[in-house]
Amino acid sequence: MKLDYAQLLETNNLLQTNGDETYWLCVTRTVQESKLFPVPAYMLLSYLNAFYRYPALLKKIERHMPAEHLGDRARQIATKANGLAMWGLPCFYLLGREWMINMGIIRPEDAAEDVAYICDFWKRFELSWRRNSGHKTAVEADHRSQIHPEAQLQVFHADMYDCKQGDELHEAAQAFIASASQYAFLIACECRISLHNHGPYNLGNGRQMIVRDFLDLSEYDFPWLDGVAEDMPYCSLTVPMATKGVDFNLIDDWGSFESDPEFKGEHIIGVGLYTSDPLSDGYIPVGMGSREELTQTFLGLNEKVKDAMAKLWQKIAGWSRDQMMDAGALTYYAIIKDLAHIAGCYDPDDWIKIDERAERFRPLLNDEYGRDMLGEICVGSGPSHQFSDYLMMPHSNLPQRIYTPIPYSILVDGDYAPTVGGVQPGITYLDEKKDRYRTTEGVLTIDEYNRRVQAKNQDLLRDGYRYFCETSVKYKYDTEQCDEYYKLYQKNSRTLAGKGASLRRADITALRAAREE
Amino acid sequence: MAKLFLDSDKYGTESQSGVIAAFHGVLHDIIRQRFDESGQDWKDFVFGKANEAITKEDFDQVQQALLDAGHRFDWSAAISQKERPEAYKAADGTSDEDLASFSFHHPEAPTAEPDAEGRELRGVGDNVVRYSENTTGIARYVRSTDRVLRWLTDGVPENTIAVIDDSGGTLTAPILEQFKGVICAGGTVRSHLGILTREYGIPCLMNAKVDGIKEGDTVMFESSARAKTAEDYQSDREVTANVWRITK
Repeated sequence: MKLDYAQLLETNNLLQTNGDETYWLCVTRTVQESKLFPVPAYMLLSYLNAFYRYPALLKKIERHMPAEHLGDRARQIATKANGLAMWGLPCFYLLGREWMINMGIIRPEDAAEDVAYICDFWKRFELSWRRNSGHKTAVEADHRSQIHPEAQLQVFHADMYDCKQGDELHEAAQAFIASASQYAFLIACECRISLHNHGPYNLGNGRQMIVRDFLDLSEYDFPWLDGVAEDMPYCSLTVPMATKGVDFNLIDDWGSFESDPEFKGEHIIGVGLYTSDPLSDGYIPVGMGSREELTQTFLGLNEKVKDAMAKLWQKIAGWSRDQMMDAGALTYYAIIKDLAHIAGCYDPDDWIKIDERAERFRPLLNDEYGRDMLGEICVGSGPSHQFSDYLMMPHSNLPQRIYTPIPYSILVDGDYAPTVGGVQPGITYLDEKKDRYRTTEGVLTIDEYNRRVQAKNQDLLRDGYRYFCETSVKYKYDTEQCDEYYKLYQKNSRTLAGKGASLRRADITALRAAREE
Repeated sequence: MAKLFLDSDKYGTESQSGVIAAFHGVLHDIIRQRFDESGQDWKDFVFGKANEAITKEDFDQVQQALLDAGHRFDWSAAISQKERPEAYKAADGTSDEDLASFSFHHPEAPTAEPDAEGRELRGVGDNVVRYSENTTGIARYVRSTDRVLRWLTDGVPENTIAVIDDSGGTLTAPILEQFKGVICAGGTVRSHLGILTREYGIPCLMNAKVDGIKEGDTVMFESSARAKTAEDYQSDREVTANVWRITK
């Protein structure tokens, strides 16, 4: 791929877009630290792994499915191909690049073709995944993350059960949400990637819905869950939550939110529960047959989560630092691994190993260097980030950039190494991953899982439906094609099955009211 | 010796971090040397011979040079200090013996003499969620896996306000639900610990600047104060809740 001026201009724009938001997220959201895990150190290791491996692995994935089709599929299920994961794709790669520039190991022009490819892949995926809102990032949408089409939202809205603080369903749901959130952080070694929110979606009458996904809960890709989480019956769980009296005025690319007033459990007035994965045709209801069944399902899952959390915590407390480093680095690096699952080409050697080129750097990664280096590259205070004194960076007004642009001079002198090349052998201090993957079709080997994904003919992506969008619905809702399209979303709905495309939000509210009576 | 591209950086200056400056200084010399030895153009060297010529042993040499000069690293994860006590600073406040006299001392913590109700100001923090009442309990530090493991087995003592300097959500994962309140000396209200305490409905202050709170002190914090928002952080607006030691 020979880069031209237009490609470089777009690459540097995408790089700047991600960098500006990364700065804002880092400054306003979190300080990465833990007494349990060497978090900054393992994050840096993950960035190097991303730098060395993402280009080749994304090309491998695209040989099975292009980025824009991955976005279509990811929109229909809960996976780590979501706002947070896909923010992490360019961010982790580019932070790895920036760190290496600061170390003097690469120049800004080295790996230029990889940088352009990574940014282009990111753009195509995001534009597809977020096509219902028409944005590329949450910040472009003024910090909203509205992913689903009406057909899906109507099912969530129609089927959720009302609840109020103090009743059994409310207490069971809230307890599960809290425990599962904490378990999600532990699974992910302090990272928030196993937990994601999107929305808000307007339910009318001062009500908003946010959708929370819990991911990688069972035996799946992470070797540390082998045995520990074998009793978790679902790998992913999605909880649509209706709320009242609270305005979610910000949901960012990390899936974290701000609200006015601050969101509390008492604001939840309705809940549902679903599972999904690359083998499922959309979302499958879990315990949604009755209000009592859903209450008992939340209670049962809460016990399983707590049990798995205690076992996992004790396992982690006995790890060596290198094992903690690997688990954390691989969690971060593999933030986009579900792209490979969606494409049906997942290989644990690709995603659960530290590339030998990245492994070299491990001796640098003591806690102090990790803390200081992560701080420099995330807020732009290192030497590579400094630019002309006239520059005023968004948010800070400082003469800095989070990521160094590719210099346009390469178009003249051609003096750059285009790519890091293919994946090299990897190592891990962790136990080898057992060949057990919890899916919606049972526990499978990875070869069988990949085979089934590749053989799957997704109903919602059949000819004619992939490009059936919200504008199509607006003007063609009364066609047989649109009706069939809605019925695919509705097929597992106890309220909407077979009702088709003509309903609007007020009709859903009326159906819910009639059902409650 | 070969010149590296960053030797002619117009705007960048040396890192403010001593350990980064020291590490990178040694590393740059190693790169110059290996590049010279390769006899190649940089663009051929960088993802070719450099992958084998710059080794794990080189990076080990980088960190060893600083240790040999007498530096000891700050630690954040207990495992780092535990495995290499010779490379890290001593770990205070992690054993029961240490905790008898240990306390956080933030240089910017506001303090004041006890008021009429016996409330002695010992610091401030960022309130995660506004509750109708302030939160009172017994301060107990949580800084080690040993303590978490013991409380996981025996249960967290009643009325515990956990005093933590770890804004993460994993150290206290299996016992967090049992705390009456949390005072965390790091992070922001959107750090993982802040998110989780909100989910559990546990009053919590993040980014707490506190001074002199000892294990076993009765403390109250202002969980009824306005919660701090992302906008407050971005505009660097001070929105704080008080932490008091109860003296009577």
